[in-house]
Amino acid sequence: MLDKYTCLKKLAAKRTDEVFVTTMSVAMPWAELSDSPLDFAHVESAMGHAADFALGLAIAQPKRRVFVINGDGSTLMCLGTLVTLAQRPAPNLTMVITENGTYEVTGNQPVPGADRIDYEQICRGAGIQNVYTINDAAEFDAQLDRHFTGEGPQVFIWKIEKASEPVPKPKLPIRERAHRLREALTSG
Amino acid sequence: MLNANKIVTALEDQGVTHIVGVPDNGSRALFERLWDHPQIEVILTSREGEAFGLASGLYLGGATPLVLIQNTGFFEAGDGFRGTAYNMGIPLVMLVGYRGYKTMEPGAPRVDTAATFFEPTLKAWNIPYTAMHSDEDITQIAAAFAKAQETSLPTAVLIVPETV
Repeated sequence: MLDKYTCLKKLAAKRTDEVFVTTMSVAMPWAELSDSPLDFAHVESAMGHAADFALGLAIAQPKRRVFVINGDGSTLMCLGTLVTLAQRPAPNLTMVITENGTYEVTGNQPVPGADRIDYEQICRGAGIQNVYTINDAAEFDAQLDRHFTGEGPQVFIWKIEKASEPVPKPKLPIRERAHRLREALTSG
Repeated sequence: MLNANKIVTALEDQGVTHIVGVPDNGSRALFERLWDHPQIEVILTSREGEAFGLASGLYLGGATPLVLIQNTGFFEAGDGFRGTAYNMGIPLVMLVGYRGYKTMEPGAPRVDTAATFFEPTLKAWNIPYTAMHSDEDITQIAAAFAKAQETSLPTAVLIVPETV
């Protein structure tokens, strides 16, 4: 199993000018590692819609890598988005699904089908060809570069340990975060 | 009937770069005119809620998207609309097909709740809107873009008769 905090630290250490869209149980740990205008915490928003939001960013900004780090619960809320990602492929889009089978910010209740879902099969069935399941730290280290350079749409499924996170509360309201991101992406 | 070519011209005039949504019978002709458009890309979504997230991302990335859906899908999109385009303050214009409009006329044999729920929901969700009943109303698209820019919030133009 993976420790998500360690994985996020390794991503943050390697990050340069990529956009990072984070959700629920990742948003606040990421905010402790990075405070870039190119970070967007997709919280106080619409759970399940971070991936379609990130696809829009990736299409509008084809020369910039866009990451979306989604939970398994968030992914389940909008599985059709995986089909949307495949039918309009964005080569610069990297999606991570952090899978531990629980809703971390509401008390670790199980997500539907927690013990039997195969996200890699679901992604491949939706038409996404570049899908990688990562089970341990050695596999993660071997795949770290590919997160930044692999042809999208690509999905990495991180098998992470269960953890507990408070409800995320970003410093700025969502409207300010959104327009800060637009300014960073469109100025100059 | 609404002339789809005239609507496409109105979208070109606003610099629309992407159409995001789900086709229906009323928008069929409009989609057919847009598939091969040289400047406007059509992106289909699996459900309408995705259209608002995707369009919001496009806008923040510097594009000028427009959402094109039917009122039934608009209802489904509630949280996607609220949590992305509305909460983010995106000046996004949506064209929404008004399924069931004629069933609200006196004497209609049945009422389509897709129609009767529609305008009350637009009002409840704080979405300014106008309706296109004929080609003369297509100018409302430009007005909707102006309103969206003025408020930095989404606006809607309703497609009442089918596009041809």
